[in-house]
Amino acid sequence: MSEKKVEERMLVRKIEEGTVIDHIPDWKAETVAKVLRLDRLARMQAEISVAILQNVTSKSLGRKDIVKIDRWQVDQKDADILALIFPTITVNYVNQWKVSKYTPKVPDVIEGRIRCPEVLCITNQEREPVVPKFRTLKRERMLQCFYCDSLLDFDSVPDHVRS
Amino acid sequence: MAKEGNFFGRDIISIRDFTRDQLERLFQSVEDLEKSPNSLDDLLRGKLAALLFFEPSTRTYSSFQIAAATLGMQITGFASPATSSVSKGETLHDTTRMFEGYGADCFVIRHPMPGAARFAAETTDKPVINAGDGSREHPTQAMMDLFTIRKAFGKLDGLKVGILGDLKYGRTASSLAYALSNYDVELTFIAPEALQMRPEVRHFLQQRGTTSKVERDLRNVVGGLDVLYVTRIQKERIPDPTEFEKVKGLYQVNLAALKEAKPSLKVLHPLPRVDELAAELDATTYANYFVQAAAGLPLRTVLMSLVLGGGAR
Repeated sequence: MSEKKVEERMLVRKIEEGTVIDHIPDWKAETVAKVLRLDRLARMQAEISVAILQNVTSKSLGRKDIVKIDRWQVDQKDADILALIFPTITVNYVNQWKVSKYTPKVPDVIEGRIRCPEVLCITNQEREPVVPKFRTLKRERMLQCFYCDSLLDFDSVPDHVRS
Repeated sequence: MAKEGNFFGRDIISIRDFTRDQLERLFQSVEDLEKSPNSLDDLLRGKLAALLFFEPSTRTYSSFQIAAATLGMQITGFASPATSSVSKGETLHDTTRMFEGYGADCFVIRHPMPGAARFAAETTDKPVINAGDGSREHPTQAMMDLFTIRKAFGKLDGLKVGILGDLKYGRTASSLAYALSNYDVELTFIAPEALQMRPEVRHFLQQRGTTSKVERDLRNVVGGLDVLYVTRIQKERIPDPTEFEKVKGLYQVNLAALKEAKPSLKVLHPLPRVDELAAELDATTYANYFVQAAAGLPLRTVLMSLVLGGGAR
């Protein structure tokens, strides 16, 4: 049996409702789960199940990871944050078995989802009603805090996702 | 000094928000005030300035207080968090809103947290002047610094400026570097690696094409400098006390350290000083720091008059 066939048999079933995040660089699915806070989501929404496929063959990437989330539509803004870290990813939304593709875009501004790396930044003061906000420096692959100007490189974003 | 559209009603959060032309016009207005010291007296009578100092201050608070009084404004607020409800845990947001409710026409805010001034500006429609936000910015100090250097040399272009000391946590150092990027200057950052200029400042300067280099030892560069800007190690902002112990007293600018300096060198310091700047320099032609401190009053007077739409009669 071909390698492709073996993999296809291993893949989990199709989903009726949910999100499939495809073209994740191989062995990086856990980072995707971390950015999307899937553990927290699963605790809050008991019906959700998540399948992580790793080291799957891919025409464009050679090898890739896939994350399937049953019964949950990932917010496009969260998918856009993933595009900062993994520019290759694509997102498939599944509704009643029908699939619609979404190609995440690196946003110019990110609000609310990422903590400022400067612990003293006003946005990290719990009692102040301020939402963290970053502008994207695409060429430098960095975010810059709108309030305190601290820089955060794209690869460090998973460590600064707000809980 | 007509009503100045570039300053009227605006927030003064970062020195980066100002162009060279705007700064030059501000300096011209300060020179006008120096020539006619009473020209702005009582110009803003009936207006209320809220001075909210969430971090203690002597020079900045006093100079804003005197500036507002000169302009005929009423003053409210506090000079230290110990004397306000901040000590009970009141937030910056609530404090600003409360003083707005009391009729404040503008806010002058110092706060220990980086980004506080920009946040405060979002909480009120009234102009906010950043009097220092943590380790990040102190725009009015940078305006004073440029004004002082410009006065000493008659220009800013072409100067070689060394900024020495705690460049990582010192807000005056970063604001000065940002401000000087409007001019054709050569910057040298003199500090141990642990206290070197923060990445976002270096990134900004690079984007602006400003020449800057890094140096550990003042002796290697002092002979080529026109200006030496000395800063205090910000003990209160260094999170790790062992880090402070390592750098404490590392730099002392005294006559021996300036042995190779040009006779025309000017030494500036935002004050207060601890042990990084020797008193023996006070009587020399190098010392420019008291002139620099004195510039705070006319500069802040003019700035408030422009922001609140006064200008000269």
